[in-house]
Order: sequence, then C-alpha cells, then structure tokens
Amino acid sequence: MPTDDDRLTRPLSRRAFLKGAVVTGAIAGAAGLIRGAPGAAEEPQLGPGMAERLGPGAGTIELKINGEARQLTVEPRVTLLRALRENLGLTGTKLVCDRGSCGACTVHLDGRPVTSCMMLAVDARGHEITTIEGLGTPARIHPVQAAFVNADALQCGFCTPGMVMSVAAALQRNPGADLAEIRHATSGNICRCGTYPHVFQAALNAGKVNGSKTVASLTGKVRGSKSVAGLT
Amino acid sequence: MNRFEVITPTDVGSASRLLAEHGRVAIAGGVDVVDLMKQDLVEPPALVNLKGLKELQGIELRPDGTLRIGALVKLAEVAELPLIREKYTALAQAAGEAATPQIRNLGTVGGNLLQRPRCWYFRNPDVHCLKKGGDKCYAIGGLNRYHSILGGGPSYIVHPSNLAPALVALGASVRIVKFADTAILATAQTELVALDKFFTLPTVDAKRENTLGAGEIITEVIVPPPAPGTCSVYLEAREKQSFDWPLVSVAVVLSPAAPGKPVRDARIVMGAVAPIPWRSPEAEAALKGAPLDEARARAAAEAALANAQPMSDNAYKVVIAKVIVRRAILKAGGIQVETA
Amino acid sequence: MSRRVTLTLGFEGNTRDVTVVIPDDEPTPWQWGERFALVGQPTPRVDGALKATGAARYTYDVQLPGMLYGAILRSPIPHARVRSVDLSAAERLAGVRAATTIDSGEVRFAGQEIAAVAATTPDIAADALKLIKVDYEPLPFVVDLEAAMADSAPSVFARGPNLGKPKSSTVGDPDGAFAKAAATIEATYTSPVQTHVSLETHGAVASWDGDELTVWCSTQGVYAVRDDLAVYFSLPPDQVRVIAEFIGGGFGSKFGASPEIITAARLAKAAGAPVKLMLPRAAEHLATGNRPSAVQRVKLGVDSTGALVAIDLKQHGSGGIGGGSGSSGPFRSVYRCPNIRLEERNVYTNAGPSSPMRAPGWPQGCFALELAMDEMARKAGIDRLEFRRRNNDNPVRAAEYEIGARNFGWAAKSAAPKQQGPLRRGIGVASALWHAVGNSGPEAQVIAHRDGRVELRIGTQDIGTGTRTILAMVAAEELGVPLSTVASEIGDTHYLYSVPSGGSGTAPSNTPAVRQAAANLRDKIFRLAAPTLGAEPGDLEARDGQIRVRVNPSRAMAFADVCKRIPGDSISAQGERIANYEGFRNDQSGCQFAEVEVDTETGIVRVVNLVALHDAGVIIDPLTARSQVNGGIIMGIGFALFEDRRMDPALGVMMNPTMDDYKLPGSLDVPEISVTFVEVANGISNTGVMGLGEAAHVASAAAVACAVSDAIGRPARDLPLTPDRVLAAMERPA
Repeated sequence: MPTDDDRLTRPLSRRAFLKGAVVTGAIAGAAGLIRGAPGAAEEPQLGPGMAERLGPGAGTIELKINGEARQLTVEPRVTLLRALRENLGLTGTKLVCDRGSCGACTVHLDGRPVTSCMMLAVDARGHEITTIEGLGTPARIHPVQAAFVNADALQCGFCTPGMVMSVAAALQRNPGADLAEIRHATSGNICRCGTYPHVFQAALNAGKVNGSKTVASLTGKVRGSKSVAGLT
Repeated sequence: MNRFEVITPTDVGSASRLLAEHGRVAIAGGVDVVDLMKQDLVEPPALVNLKGLKELQGIELRPDGTLRIGALVKLAEVAELPLIREKYTALAQAAGEAATPQIRNLGTVGGNLLQRPRCWYFRNPDVHCLKKGGDKCYAIGGLNRYHSILGGGPSYIVHPSNLAPALVALGASVRIVKFADTAILATAQTELVALDKFFTLPTVDAKRENTLGAGEIITEVIVPPPAPGTCSVYLEAREKQSFDWPLVSVAVVLSPAAPGKPVRDARIVMGAVAPIPWRSPEAEAALKGAPLDEARARAAAEAALANAQPMSDNAYKVVIAKVIVRRAILKAGGIQVETA
Repeated sequence: MSRRVTLTLGFEGNTRDVTVVIPDDEPTPWQWGERFALVGQPTPRVDGALKATGAARYTYDVQLPGMLYGAILRSPIPHARVRSVDLSAAERLAGVRAATTIDSGEVRFAGQEIAAVAATTPDIAADALKLIKVDYEPLPFVVDLEAAMADSAPSVFARGPNLGKPKSSTVGDPDGAFAKAAATIEATYTSPVQTHVSLETHGAVASWDGDELTVWCSTQGVYAVRDDLAVYFSLPPDQVRVIAEFIGGGFGSKFGASPEIITAARLAKAAGAPVKLMLPRAAEHLATGNRPSAVQRVKLGVDSTGALVAIDLKQHGSGGIGGGSGSSGPFRSVYRCPNIRLEERNVYTNAGPSSPMRAPGWPQGCFALELAMDEMARKAGIDRLEFRRRNNDNPVRAAEYEIGARNFGWAAKSAAPKQQGPLRRGIGVASALWHAVGNSGPEAQVIAHRDGRVELRIGTQDIGTGTRTILAMVAAEELGVPLSTVASEIGDTHYLYSVPSGGSGTAPSNTPAVRQAAANLRDKIFRLAAPTLGAEPGDLEARDGQIRVRVNPSRAMAFADVCKRIPGDSISAQGERIANYEGFRNDQSGCQFAEVEVDTETGIVRVVNLVALHDAGVIIDPLTARSQVNGGIIMGIGFALFEDRRMDPALGVMMNPTMDDYKLPGSLDVPEISVTFVEVANGISNTGVMGLGEAAHVASAAAVACAVSDAIGRPARDLPLTPDRVLAAMERPA
C-alpha cells in the first residue's frame, strides 16, 4: 500500500492519461496480484488517493479459475471472456453477441451466472470463476451436462456451454426448480437452433437426479418422446 | 475499445477527485461502460474503479425506517431480497424484469440509474447524433418505433432504466458525493438529491440524462418508508417475453391500497416513454380522494397519456401505455386484472 | 451387375410394391416393416458430451502457435466509389503484421468489405482498422423496397434497373377460372428481411505451409470451400485442406469461400503466419446473407364445392444486392389447383446480399398462401382445416391432418366460445412441403481395425443437425455392432467427397453412401469369419455385435474377434451414393397446428401450443429429428413475431445489427411443442432417409400468423406481428 507520504510526493503522471499513449503496464498492485509484464518499460506511479493503477499496457494478473490460480498478461481492455479464450485456452465459453444479450459466454462468478463478455478481466480478480470446463469434462461429466446430452438439449452446440451454466446455477439454487423457473433462468440465453424444449427437459431431469443418483442412471431414454408411427 | 488505465481509488473522496479529471469514467458493474467502450462511444483515458468503495455497498433498513441501498448493490439482490419484495414490491419487480439473469448478477443499482439510452442511433458508432454533440436527432423522420411519446425534444430517446420509475414512484433520493477542493482542506461533500429532480430532459442538455456532474458519484439510494397500507406495482410490456427492452413500463404506488377506501396518495411513473422517468401528476390527481375502481383507473391512464405526442411509428406505445398504467393501478389496488 | 428387387413402400395403411433395378454392391433399400436394431431408437448424439462440456472445437476455438488475429474494415455508407485506401498508418502500428485492401468493386451496401489487417491481438487489429483512411465518393442509394422500384430511384447496379424482370409462369386459364369462381379473395401480405444469426459467426483460421493451405472454417460445405480456395489461389485442390469439425449453425448462410475466408487466407499468406478471422456480430447481420423481404399479392378462387379453381400470385421482394427473393414454391405445389399464375420480381436495394435461408422462399410463400387460404375458407364458409383437406391430394398429409387434428384438438378448439376478456386465443393450421431426397455424389469409407473399432469417414459436415450421429447409427446398424463401436470422422476434405449441407440434403445424400460402404465392409468381415464358422460368407449375418450363421445363430463369433483376424492393421470398404430410384414419393409433407394467445389491448402475442406432423422418410434418430423440428418451429416463431432487419431509409444502414435490437425467440417465447413423425418407407435410396431441417420450418410462421388472425378476428397480413402490427390489424373492419 502506498503511504500518505507517497501520495504527497508522487505527482500524477500525465503521460498515462494521454489517449493511445503506449505506456506498458507495470504496476505495483494493492493486492500484490500485479507484477511488471515482461519487457515493461516504465512503472506508472500511484498518484494521491490511488490504491492501484493498471494499464493501459498489458500487465500480469492472477485469476482464480476452476479452483486454480491462473496468471495471465492482459491489457485492462480485455474482457474476462476473451482472457479465458485467448489467454488461457478455455475456449468452451463462447463469444457470440459480445454485448450481454445472448448468454453464450456465461460463467459462474462466485457461484452466480454472469456474462463474461461484459466484464473486464482485471475486474474478475478476487472472484471464484467457474467455466464450462470447470463444471465437468467428457471424462468427468457433470449431471447437468449429462442431462443435456441425454435429452439432446443441443444442436449446433454453440449456445450449449452458456445454457448449461445457466441451468447448473439455477439447479444449484433450487434443485427442485420447475419449468417456469427454468424458463426464467435461461431467459438470457439465445439458442438459434431453437433447442429450448429439450433444454427444459434436460433441466427438469437433472433437477430430479442431481446429487442423488449417479450419472450413469441418466442414460435412459428421454421421457415424453413422441411415438414414431410406422416401421417399428 | 481504446486503451485505458484502471485506477482504483483508496476512498470515495479520492474516487470523486480522480474522476473529475477530464474524460475519466467510473466503472462499477461495468455492463454499460464496457458496452459503450466496445462501440467507441466513450473512449476514456482511464476508468475509476468504484467496486471496492465501502460507502457504496450493502442494503440496510435504517432505524428511521428508511431503506438504504448502496449504489454497488446488484440488481439480482434487489429483486430477491424479501424485505424489498414485501415492502417495496415495485422496486423488486423492476429489478427482476431488468435485462437478463446474468446481467442482473453484474449490473448495479447505480449503473442501472446511470446507463445511457438504448436508442439505436445513439448506440451506432457511425451516427453522430444530437446526444453525441451532433446537430440532429435521427429519430425524427427515422425509425422511431421505440422512441419517446412524452417529453421528447430536441432528443427523443427514452430513459432506459428499469429501476428509475420504481424509485421515483417510491419517493427515493440518491446520495451524491463530490470532492471539494478548498485552499487547505480537500474534503468529500455529500448531497441528497430527490430522484425526480435528478433526471433531466434533453431541453436542459441533450447530451445527458441527469444532473450528475464531473467527479460526482452516486453512493446510495435512500427510499423513505412507505405509508401504512401502501402497495406498489411495476409492470412492463415487451415484444418478447424473454430478455427484451420494455416498450412501456410503469410503477404505481398507492396508499392505502385497500379496495373500497379512498385513495390518499398515488404516485405513477412511466418508463420507456420519455427521456426521463415520466411522472404523471395528472394521473395521480385522477386517483386521489375516492375509492379505486376500473373507471377511475381508466380515467387515470387516459390522463397519464393525455399529453402524449407520438412520433411517426410509435403511436401504438400510447395505446399500450394506457393499458399498462390502468392494469398496474388496478393491480396495486388489489383489483383482479386479466393479463398475459 | 445389377439385380431386380420388389420393394414394399409407403406408410401405415398405404403401401404398394415397387420394382427397381439396383447394382449388386448396393444394399436393398429399407422397406415398410423393416426391423432395425438401432435405426428409429431415440439416441443421444455421439458428440453431445463434447458440446455440453465445451470440449468441442469450433473454428472460433482453433488456436495455432504464432497465430494472428484478422479484422475487416467495412464501409459505413451504403453506396460509394472508393477513391483511395491508405493502409500506411495501420501498417506502422506495432503488432500489425499484414494489411490489405479488399476490392469488391463499388461499395453497394453499408457493411461491404474495404480492407483487412492481421495483428498479434484482436485489440491491435481493431486499433489498426481505425487508422485506415478511406476516401469515399458517396453515391445516391436506396434501401427501401418500394422506393427502389420507382423510376427515379438511384440505381443499385449501373447495368440495369433495380426492378428485375418478372419471372412468370401460368398453368391453365386463371382469368377464366376466376371469372367463373363461386368466391374469390384478394389480399397483399408482407414479410421482412430476416437474418440467419448463426451463433458462430462466419470466419476462418488459415495456415500456409509453403504452397499448401489449411483452412478451418465455419462452413456448410468443406469441399465447396476447398474448390473455391483452390481456384482463388490457383492451387491444385489437393493442396488445400478444409476442416470444419464443429460448426456453430449455418441455416443456409455458410456455403463456399466467402470474403472473410479468402481474406483470412490472404492475410496469412502476407504475414507468413496463421490468421484467425472471425466476424463480429454486426458484420454477421450486415454482410453474410439474409432471407429476402416479400410483398405478395395473392388472389384465390373456389368453386361451389370449396375446391380451389385458381391461384394468382404477384410478388416482389428484395435480397439487397442479391437476388432470389421469389416465394412461389408453395403456390405451385402444396394444394391442388388447375389454374395457377405466378409472377415474381426481384428488387435490388443497397443492402447486404441475400443468401439461402432455411427453405429459401418457402416460409414467406407459405405465410401468404396459408393466410389467403384462411381468408378464402372464411369467405366460403368452410372450416379452415376442412378447406385444406378438400384441396389436398397428398395421402401422407391427409394422414397428418387427421393425427394432428386429434392431437391438437382442432374440433373442440374451433367450437370453443370466443373469450370476452382482453386475452383471446386463436388457432391456425398450415401445410408444409419439401423435397429433400438427396443427391448422388458422396463417397464414404468405413474401416474396421484389428482392435475392433470401426471408423467411418466422409467429407460431410454436421451443422448441428446430428449428421455425425445418424451416420454412425447407419454404419452400426449395417455392421450389427453397438453405436459405441463406430466413430464418425467428418468435416475434413481429407475424407472422401461429400455434398454441401444444403436443401436438407445431408442425411438423404450421405446415409446411403455410408450404408453401402458399411455393407461392403460387412461382406469383407463375413469373408474373414466364414472359415471359422464353417459357412459360406453369403450365409452369415451381422447382429448384436456378432457375426453368425443366419440359419443357426448359435454358430457365432463376436465382431471384435473377427477383427482380430484382420491380417494387417485394418480393412476398409467404400460406398457411393448412387442416383435416386423411383420411390414411393419424391416429396415430403407436413403440417403444423398453432394456438396463440393475443392480448388484444396491447397487441402482444404469445404462442401457447404447437403440434407438428412431419414426414422425413425413415427417421434414423427420432431424438435429434425432434430437435430439428423444435428448431424449425422456433425459428418460424421468430419470423412470425419478432425478427426484422430494420434499415434507416435516410442513412441506408441497418439499425439493429445486434442480438437484442434484432429480436430472437428466447426461452419464454417458446410454446409447448408436440412432434409426431409419420414414417414413410420411400425407397428412393437404400436408406430412404429424407432431410428435415427445412421441412420443419416451412409452415411455422404461417400457422402462427393464421392463429393470430383467428384470435383477433381479422387477417394479420404483415410480419412480424409485433404489437403495433397486431393493433393495426385490429383496426381493420372484421
């Protein structure tokens, strides 16, 4: 932490505020999360009343993602979504509308679903972030993910990670969520393939079994499946 | 998005002082700021990060009966808190209808009040409209189906906040902190501003929607205790039932709300119809002094829209507004309404 | 060599025998009453876990070492000559590795490509675009459909007028028939431009290794992209490899090497590094295609028995600088009518080009035709469903009307008294038709490995329909092995040729090739097993994971044990998709019943219930098939109620190129949906599979619009049925 003396003696660097100025971020972070980026040219100084000062150049930050501390070097203008995808290779979270209206980029922030496209990566420091990869993997599939597969709650699959995260959060809050609650919980997720009815089915199936039965029990046929007239 | 710094202030006074620097923008939940920056509609050299400021946190019922909501409180909390759902129903409903579940977990009360208009001319980076210092409101003679029907001119945006109509109807104020630099002592001064004075029409300044000045920060919203027997309702009409911007919204506060008893006080504030949350004294007057019934609600709704001046494509909003206002009044008064 | 076989084809209660000649290595087409192990079982898709866990790798997710990010500068103005493009400042920006102009001639719509850059981060690429200086000479423009038709309108193309030549056809004597008709109606129906809004935007990752180009792209046709790129870069096709492992939707908009794919490859070549170029959302709306608008003046006439005697359609519409706005398909083929006159005219406007979109022309045409059918039925005093029955000569649809009416409760709902409050229910029915019988062309390879795994390889792609899954099911069915034995390898031009995924042709074109390949492989497996089983290969069958003697199934070997006898590492067989046989029918019908609730005070519509009946030949996987029908319906609800590309006529730009101002159906806008398949053994290929993606979408908007019209007691003739439109329709005299 800067001392009061620092505040009195360090003048504010004007250079840092020039639009488009190339000041590589090398920052003494208040929480100790920030270190100088490789090749950092200059340390912008903390002015009076500043606890921390980042950017505009890239700096190294630490995010807690899927239970792991991950370090990455980003400019402040990078969204959490892009940091996950481009810096950390967590490409399960999708970039679709890039303005918070489609939900494809949904991750859990401290257990609650948020659109990672509308949040700066640097603002995600200090939070527990769970991505679709953290929920489950093909080898260790989460019951909600398994329910999506079994109910065919996915077509092209591009909305699916976000949809799964919304449903998983809703069921975490209320494992007995009914159809109306599931519809509301997914009302910020757009599926252009129009797979919503199967999403509802998956959510209701997962809600009933979540935590009480094993994943293997989910591999039965989807209930409510219409009979197929003809060849059988 | 331009390159920018993020400055985290040590305290709210410093935040105010740091924000006063030219072009800097505050960031809290970030939803609208990030959106505006992606479109290059704002290009701040630096963001001042309000997230850690303790003066902006928390919800509490204070000993004097007033409700204090920190500006950083998330919309989802406002929507879910039993205290708000029970005593300030319109506010909880307004927060619960805002945006998407994901955005409600990011977006803050302060951010919702201060978000910029959704107008598609304003949001298009290639259109230099009146709100951006241009010489023309493109809604005039343009695609104005979602624009204002009341209070428009010279800009015809509608105010986008869901919370604002509810909070204005509930008589809320915002506390604003401003850093004052005197010869020797630098201090933060606070001021309580009634929300219905906070929002300003484009006739005052077409480029802004409120009185918040450079370096000023909303720290909290103060809602007075509702009078005994008060009931409040927020309703909105949307094209889609999933996430969509409201065509019309309305918050109604009635006291007492018991059927058969004369209405003593009524506050009716519409959203998405005017460049500010549009309070209708005419509609309020039409309700006061007599028990509520369907005819009175209808008369109040007519009064609320009597001065409406629709544009080329949005006369339908007048029709919808009348219906929504009437239904919200009846609902607040405990009278059954058939709605979708 | 070939053989003659007699097939029993048709559907429940309506079969007939058809004799066809088929090549020797072609399996006998599946016929009515066929018994299957896997086909017809609701089966979760084989790549579901990859998609549900985020592990599926789409083009957007491809990351290569040293990869750069590309971005395209687009014209903000709708019509201009580009005098000059100055890239120098952009090129000087640190982190920029390549910059290029994109010469697509005169700018004819806002959103047209001007220049592109590749840089080390997406942000630097975006910064660089801002540094490009373009000198435009603005030209007059027109974006409004009606305004563009005026003689005085600015010309979109110098070579001719905006109003295209009429495309006309006449059957019979429509004028004579109208003159003699017992009753006629005439009305005009309008529908807006709809955009595809694939969730994964268009784009590519391009990587050069010397003269060899590898491109990952979000496409509906890997081979089509390969061929286009080979031509563009003057390379032999085998030096271009196109990969589309997973595709985030296409709906008709992703065929061929579109500008962003070529640009990615050009930038990669210039920079000497791989380039990823994925379009931002706004560009996706502006430049990658759309369903054209339509204005349809429809006239119908009936005789005293309620039989349609004449149809007249006069239509115009605009696909921006593209064509293909015609909508006459349903008018010429859904209902029986002896006298039909059709006229279509394309209108050019300064807007992004159209591209095929889910049954091109049909949802628009079906909307106008079905609303007109309702108006005609009311005028003739005939129940609307009965009116359709009387004018239908398709036996499959006749069955669908009956099942649908029962499941939907048409009679009871029709007889229900009208509600008195502000909320009014309404019902509607609309008929669909499609022709997804598939094409010859695809070749498949099926490989059995010594360890018992089976791989299926074919250069098709799965745009979300479940192709990967149904192809594996067909191979597993033929080989008698569990589905888990077969891995589908698709989406790569390193596999044998297949057709683009369009016209709902993927399933009907690819399943027969796969089945033939699997049958050929099975015969090789039989030859391996025969000595041990002491039988002739021709006496064996493949079932339940075993190769066994048909007449004595206890003499059997596990499929995996037979594979252990493979002398090398694997054995493989190929199969080809041969031309269609004369089958039961070459079309597929459907119908959809919709129930809506209209708030008559606000004009807000909610779709309550939708019952869909469809025929898609043999249904391989009813689970994924039902997903497609759900999707077709929901996209139709978007077309009926919400979606509209809104162009400012004075600025000439789209004002809603987002996913909120451009309104798409969400979870709270979706009705209860019931899907029933009337399965038809059509024998048109060895599987008799027909595509479903488009058939399921044709009638949905029409059914919803008919139901809204019923609810408000007046025709709702202008899509989308937003509250203003519904309130306006209610102002009309009943």
